[in-house]
Amino acid sequence: MVFSSIVFLFRFLPVFMFLYFITYLFPKKAARWMRNIILFLGSLVFYAWGEPVYVLLMLFSTVSDYLHGRAIEKCKSRTAARCLLVSSICINLLVLGFFKYADFLIDTVNALAGTAIPLFRLGLPIGISFYTFQTMSYTIDVYRGKARVQHNILDFGVFVTLFPQLIAGPIVKYTDVENDLKDRKADIVQISYGCRRFVTGLAKKVLLANNIGMLWEEIAKMDFGSMSVLAAWMGITAFALQIFFDFSGYSDMAIGLGAILGFRFPENFNYPYISTSITEFWRRWHISLGSWFREYVYIPLGGNRKGLPRQLFNILVVWMLTGIWHGAGWNFLLWGLWFAFFLILEKAFLGRVLKALPGIFGWAYSIFVVLIGWVLFQVERPDAIFAYLRAMFGLGSGAWYDSRAIYLLLQYAAVIILAVFCSTPIMKMLSDALNSSGEGFAMALRRLLQKVVPALLLLLSIAYIVDASYNPFLYFRF
Amino acid sequence: MREKWDAGLTVGFLCCILLALLIADFLEPDRLFSENENRLLEKKPELTRESLLSGEYMEAYEKYVTDQFVGRDNWIEIKTRSEIAMQRKEIGGVYLGEDDYLLEQHLPEEITDEMVEEKLTLLSNLVEKYHAKVMLAPTADNVLTDKLPPFAPYYDQKELLGKVKTAIGDDAYIDVASKLEEHSGEDIYYRTDHHWTSLGAYYGYEAWLEKTGKLSPVHFDPQNLIPVTEEFLGTLHSKINLPMREDRILYFPETELRPVNVTYDYNIQKESMYEESYLEGKNKYGFFLDDNHGFIEIETGYKNGRSLFVLKDSYANCVIPLLTVHYEKIYVVDLRYYNGRLAQLMDPYMSEDTDVLVLYNCIHFMKDFKYF
Repeated sequence: MVFSSIVFLFRFLPVFMFLYFITYLFPKKAARWMRNIILFLGSLVFYAWGEPVYVLLMLFSTVSDYLHGRAIEKCKSRTAARCLLVSSICINLLVLGFFKYADFLIDTVNALAGTAIPLFRLGLPIGISFYTFQTMSYTIDVYRGKARVQHNILDFGVFVTLFPQLIAGPIVKYTDVENDLKDRKADIVQISYGCRRFVTGLAKKVLLANNIGMLWEEIAKMDFGSMSVLAAWMGITAFALQIFFDFSGYSDMAIGLGAILGFRFPENFNYPYISTSITEFWRRWHISLGSWFREYVYIPLGGNRKGLPRQLFNILVVWMLTGIWHGAGWNFLLWGLWFAFFLILEKAFLGRVLKALPGIFGWAYSIFVVLIGWVLFQVERPDAIFAYLRAMFGLGSGAWYDSRAIYLLLQYAAVIILAVFCSTPIMKMLSDALNSSGEGFAMALRRLLQKVVPALLLLLSIAYIVDASYNPFLYFRF
Repeated sequence: MREKWDAGLTVGFLCCILLALLIADFLEPDRLFSENENRLLEKKPELTRESLLSGEYMEAYEKYVTDQFVGRDNWIEIKTRSEIAMQRKEIGGVYLGEDDYLLEQHLPEEITDEMVEEKLTLLSNLVEKYHAKVMLAPTADNVLTDKLPPFAPYYDQKELLGKVKTAIGDDAYIDVASKLEEHSGEDIYYRTDHHWTSLGAYYGYEAWLEKTGKLSPVHFDPQNLIPVTEEFLGTLHSKINLPMREDRILYFPETELRPVNVTYDYNIQKESMYEESYLEGKNKYGFFLDDNHGFIEIETGYKNGRSLFVLKDSYANCVIPLLTVHYEKIYVVDLRYYNGRLAQLMDPYMSEDTDVLVLYNCIHFMKDFKYF
């Protein structure tokens, strides 16, 4: 099930929230248990709605890592514990590898060796990359002694299946929510924050991402060989805005729902398009994935503690993995390598150069690298990628601009301007300024806006969902 | 305390909105058909083990809930209005043109060279065999270019018509495009519908007269056109669904000077080419020749022994009444509804006194013109 649907908003959500909050009428101890039962079952329904069979796979992962955690606890020797950790990681990676990468590998082997090994052609279970990473964080942290072993399989099940962040992140580490699993409080202030955050995310997805996404759809349909330079840049800019608002919108909705239920999920995006270096971009983009790789791959590999050459190697490894995490395809690997290249350059010398220059240079450079990156990410086929890049640099047969590109620019100018505006922190600064002035007109205005704006955004979003000619789910390959 | 109070109000307000809509949604009975969208709405799916395990049930249920959501038409209107506010000049494949004109969008890439090739072969075979005349009317976006939004893309039908002319030869080609262009300042297309008006059809008829060299036994005067309704909101309006100025549907009273006998699909007999019942409903253009039928036979009061065979789309429906004054018999085929071999249908009606006319608009021709 996706959040931006009538089924979620008007069937699942009301029923679930009613059952969840009615538990507050019961004695404290029973209520805690009831809440987790409802949350667990609700999450299973939520997942099974889209993946009626693969829900079993998720339960398998849950039980497997639960048992591994218990077993690691029982281990007397470090070596035995280590074996169990390896076993847990192997199972997780095998599941992920089989469902996500098997066909890709077979395809590659077939292409290179000229063989004809048949493909499995299994659909990718939605969210598998998110929840396997989450459960891995649990066993690793248990092994490291950073997390306490979870004895209650229900609480552990809640962690794995937690529906708000199940299918599109953020990737919540076990230690992030360890305490919340047992006992969590959601006071009305936090619930109100959660509601507003959810509606903001919904609006980002439905009003901004879907609308600007239609521009990308139109341009992606064109013949890349003859498209104009203007169309090519406008197209990839549109995609950059689409995936940002779509992805960060989902994260906002997850964080908001989490807050309503009493969880505090980590932030996932922090205005990535204002970055003045690629290093900074990756601190602002999909933060939870970056920090997962940092904690469980980069630092164990030695991070920056073993000299510059080793650090550069580590960066290369992490970003290859980051690339391939986003989808089983060579273009995703290339996309990861593309960023690794600039990160390494920045570590080597470019970072210092950029610091010395006015910020605008760093920003232009970063946006340029990121936009080219999105071409690798989204266009996929190598010949199409080259054709698209040629069009961007005026090397195709297209003109600088043509009437089609101008028409699309006029059609989408307002949406583009709005989206660019919303991708900067200006709005947040304005609302912060309003929040900090504690009295008089500003205060009254703030209190009014806090109630009216979410309501309007919700209604407008519903209108766009009801007539959803275009409402894609972008993460089916993650 | 005030913070809590405020937070409670925010939450309460949002919950009230959701709850109110939820209750309204449950109270609202399901609709079968959406007039506005002109389509059947999704029905409640049946729950079976297979459909549940395959996920089909969930997909169907989501469509059902969305289609039947309370106030669907109003939500769509809100969306359309907000798109217009965001300066969109195209909604659901319809251009919002100047002077309240809606124009159907036909993008150049929708029609490929192979498609053109295929249709031209079919057409030239027909012309060769039956000496057919061909009238392909350009659609409004190609004639009323000044009404289009700035830089709006459209499939260039002039280029297509150039190819048609080359393929079938000058003798067979009726140049209706130039005729319409000459009169592009007049009301030759409906503002809210994708058809041409009776006036546009009249100019098509004029082009046909010039090509065939026929003399009209009746003098048609556009001044005499009589309105049959002033409340026509056509197919293009259905895609936008905002209040707008209605169109008038006019017809030539001269076409009713002599009695006619019309037989639809071999079984329904009528004594008029016009069906007034359509004027009460949404599809008012159906007034002409009872909307769409696979095969129509018209027997006119002009006993000159000549007959005409028309292969056509809905554009022809308001032209054919004008042609009745030239023929004793007119046979009309809409190829969309005829699956047999065309020769088998046509040949029994063919004689030395039979003319053949192919009458489409360029887009319908490219999409629907096919026969075996």
